[in-house]
Amino acid sequence: MKRVLPVIAALLLLAIPLGVSNQFLLHLGITVLMWTILGLAWNLLGGYAGQVSFGHATFFGIGAYTTMILYLSFRLAPWYGMALGGVLGALFSLPIGLICFRLRGPYFSLATLAVAEIIRLVALNWESLTNGPVGLLITSLPQVTVFGAAINWERKEPFFVIVAVLALCAMLAAYLFTRSRLGSYLTAIREDEDAAEAIGIDTTRSKVTVLALSAFLTGLAGGFYGLYFRYVDPDAVFLISLSVEMVFIAVVGGLRTIAGPVVGAIFLTTIAELFRERFMVGHLIFYGLFMMLVIRFLPEGIWGRALRILTGRR
Amino acid sequence: MRKLLFVSLVFCLSLVVSAPVFAAEGTLKIGAPQPMTGPDAPFGDKFKKAYSLAVEEINAAGGVNGRKIEVIIEDHQAKNALAATVAEKLITQEKVLILTGGRASGQAVEIASVAQRLKTPYLVDHPSADIITAKGFEWVFRNNPTGSIYPQAFNKFISEVPGAMPKSAAVLYDNTVFGKSIANSAMTFLKSRNVKIVNDEAYAVNTLDFKPIMTKVKANNPDFVLMVAVSTTDAILLTRHAKEMGLRPRAFVGFGGGFGVEDFAKQLGGLSENVFSSAAWSGNPNDPTVKKFYATFYKKYGIHPKEHEVEGYAGIYIIADAMKRAKPTGNLAADREAIRQALLKTDMTTVFGKVKFGDWAGPLGDKYTNQNIFSPDHSVLAQWRGGKLLNVWPKANAETNYVFPEPSTK
Amino acid sequence: MTAAMETLIQSLVNGVLTGSLYAMIGVGLTVIFGVMRIINLAHGEMVMLGMFSAYWSYTLWKIDSFLSAIVWVPLFFLAGMLAYRYLVRAIMPGGELNTLLYTAGMSLLIANVALFAWTGDYRTLNLPYAVEPLHPFGIAVPVPLAIAFGLAALITAALYVFLARTDTGRAVRATSQNPEAAALMGINVERIAMITFGLGTALAAAAGVLLVPSLYLYPTVGEILVVKCFVIVVLGGLGSIPGAIAGGILLGVIESFGAVYVSVAYKDTIGFIMFLLVLLFRPQGLFGAARS
Repeated sequence: MKRVLPVIAALLLLAIPLGVSNQFLLHLGITVLMWTILGLAWNLLGGYAGQVSFGHATFFGIGAYTTMILYLSFRLAPWYGMALGGVLGALFSLPIGLICFRLRGPYFSLATLAVAEIIRLVALNWESLTNGPVGLLITSLPQVTVFGAAINWERKEPFFVIVAVLALCAMLAAYLFTRSRLGSYLTAIREDEDAAEAIGIDTTRSKVTVLALSAFLTGLAGGFYGLYFRYVDPDAVFLISLSVEMVFIAVVGGLRTIAGPVVGAIFLTTIAELFRERFMVGHLIFYGLFMMLVIRFLPEGIWGRALRILTGRR
Repeated sequence: MRKLLFVSLVFCLSLVVSAPVFAAEGTLKIGAPQPMTGPDAPFGDKFKKAYSLAVEEINAAGGVNGRKIEVIIEDHQAKNALAATVAEKLITQEKVLILTGGRASGQAVEIASVAQRLKTPYLVDHPSADIITAKGFEWVFRNNPTGSIYPQAFNKFISEVPGAMPKSAAVLYDNTVFGKSIANSAMTFLKSRNVKIVNDEAYAVNTLDFKPIMTKVKANNPDFVLMVAVSTTDAILLTRHAKEMGLRPRAFVGFGGGFGVEDFAKQLGGLSENVFSSAAWSGNPNDPTVKKFYATFYKKYGIHPKEHEVEGYAGIYIIADAMKRAKPTGNLAADREAIRQALLKTDMTTVFGKVKFGDWAGPLGDKYTNQNIFSPDHSVLAQWRGGKLLNVWPKANAETNYVFPEPSTK
Repeated sequence: MTAAMETLIQSLVNGVLTGSLYAMIGVGLTVIFGVMRIINLAHGEMVMLGMFSAYWSYTLWKIDSFLSAIVWVPLFFLAGMLAYRYLVRAIMPGGELNTLLYTAGMSLLIANVALFAWTGDYRTLNLPYAVEPLHPFGIAVPVPLAIAFGLAALITAALYVFLARTDTGRAVRATSQNPEAAALMGINVERIAMITFGLGTALAAAAGVLLVPSLYLYPTVGEILVVKCFVIVVLGGLGSIPGAIAGGILLGVIESFGAVYVSVAYKDTIGFIMFLLVLLFRPQGLFGAARS
């Protein structure tokens, strides 16, 4: 039963476009799933490994720009670009990790923030590569036929399926990660880094590995952003606020849980949407209040609390 | 305490779940994504005022073919992804016939891209990035001039007024689409006239301190100082710090954005005197209809309408005109196409000036689609005088004589 | 004086003056971090509220904005203590990350309440006696900045006396160095935390009051200040007050020289690279040794 449930849930998720034709609802669903991937990716590093990054927008931006540049300059279909975006994000994460992991706690967080800002400024000023502040715009996507039918890129359904598959892969990756040896190394590092080192865990290597995995997923989501929104500029994909939102999703949902980021993404996206609809100019007041209340009363996150109630532990 | 907080949580959730406000039935809906919160909120507010006035007037005069029109504003917080989301929402949920607004270029590109995909017309009323009408989007129309057209009135001024051609120029612009396209256009022209560019500096939006930059500029002693700022606060500080650092060029020239809003003079006081702004105009001030509009607007809101308000107001009239000719039937897709066809045939005069959409090449070689063909006439050089921005060039639209060179020049 | 020399000195003066204001913002943040180990993301909003307070004092009641600090700073001290007691304290056990996100929520709340109350209009405060800059030795010195510089020095001195000479001040320093030991020595850590939060808030508000005649204000202005704050505080060493002051002035000077001699576009990048280098090679801050 425990093994069947996730499979059923996954199939249901993929079947949503068959039952829901409302394009705006699908759009919201796509946004939720994209944020889910980002929350999951951040959670691997920030939750399981306890390394709080405020610079994940870097990998997101690299993924998005890779996809766009490869398509615009080399006509490489965006889905390959997306995968390469993830790979490039992971590659970039190696030097960043080697530098930033020399630091711990809030110092690490601040270092990631500084790196992210430096990279944003480079993207803004390196015009020959990124087209600077004007950004990159795709006006049409290549023709693709599946089972003899051309995919209609003007509809949301194909994007929903793509991002749903990505999100499921990310969840599977997170699941496998928690059960892996690396996962337990990182738990040890989170609990007590010095002790972990003392029992012979190569802490830097473990942390760099999980950062690469996290960066890969974030880059993938960034690539998807480019493919779906078809326009990137440095302020849209490299901003600090983007990094902070990823943290929020993971924390509001529940750190160190697989379903947490899903719940976090659903809650924050829909709440933001509902508040905006209801309050116009005041909507961010309520959004801020909502976040404060969640953290105040559900410090372990929404899903974290639900899990505790479901499993009867108190 | 705990209880109180919990009650407030429940309260705020129940507010969300309570019944939404439904839009009036049977109206012709226009969607307008605008920044209503965040740093750009004052601009969202300007457009909201302009739209309301236009809608009130049109509805009071019998609406469009007897039906009332309505503008639905959605807040995009000056964020690109959110701009796309609210555009989607307006098109698929609110079922608007046409989009307008957008305010900043980044968000407008996102809205244009969505409008093109979902086959909904989008009338750009203010965003100026060339890219918006230079990508062949047949569903996107633009009434206002593009960024690269902004400097044209200034170019005319320095070419036509004897002795006005700068000997050298410092060019400072924010690192945004807006800043880049205007600065590029201005510098291309200056270079073609062999004017030496002594400073070419891109600064970050919301720079807290321009004194270092101005110190650097001062060392080069430029004949003209050209400044582009999308944000009003940057325009204010640029001017203030330039003067504090003792720059004495023959002219300070801004290019719309922060240099073209009333706040600029209100906040700077005397420091704004004689600063030029070459940008989209706010309509021909010598035209009686435009004068009447200025008076009505001032009476209603206590604000002298500038570029933004005039553009927003004119946009609604262009849309109403197209709707009238399109004769909406209730079939959404057909109505949108009919409005697009009507816009292609638009040929009218608003308070912003003449409008007719066409395909033509911009000053930097961009191939425009559905860009107002009268745009080059809508660039005007104005000068801040006693707290008012008065047109000074071209002569035909001038409200007063220019003051040049700056009397305080050494 | 040659032109090149003038540019050099002018850049230095600009850097130091602006840096002193950066320092004022940084000090409040670092005081709170020192005692409570929380990075207060709502710090920028506290500065914003200080700015608005001074602005309204001047425009509504014709009270000189600098003078209004006498009223506002103690009020913000009280408000900060109350905020700690009723809003922040309960979050502390949730850990650093939760506290940080909580303050992020607070920042969103405060900025948007301000937006609601005062609209998003940009405002500036022009003091009638401060329009023309002073010109000692041909160097331009804006009057409001010069006054702010003097007051910042005064406030810093007062803070120093408080921390070095009073019992409460000593208790704050003791808690900052080692909370457990301080508790064992009979210091009421809870009370000290409350006072510290009040102190940090009051310093933020003071920075706002000093900043307002030189800058502009609008409800979300805090977000452009808060990132700078981090850089300053880290340059000087997290939790170190003299460090934050030195860090602020250093950042002001780096930015000023960076813009003049390197590149305007990369001026912020230079700041961040410095920040990163300091983090890596001197995580205790450039002035860690000088820590009180």
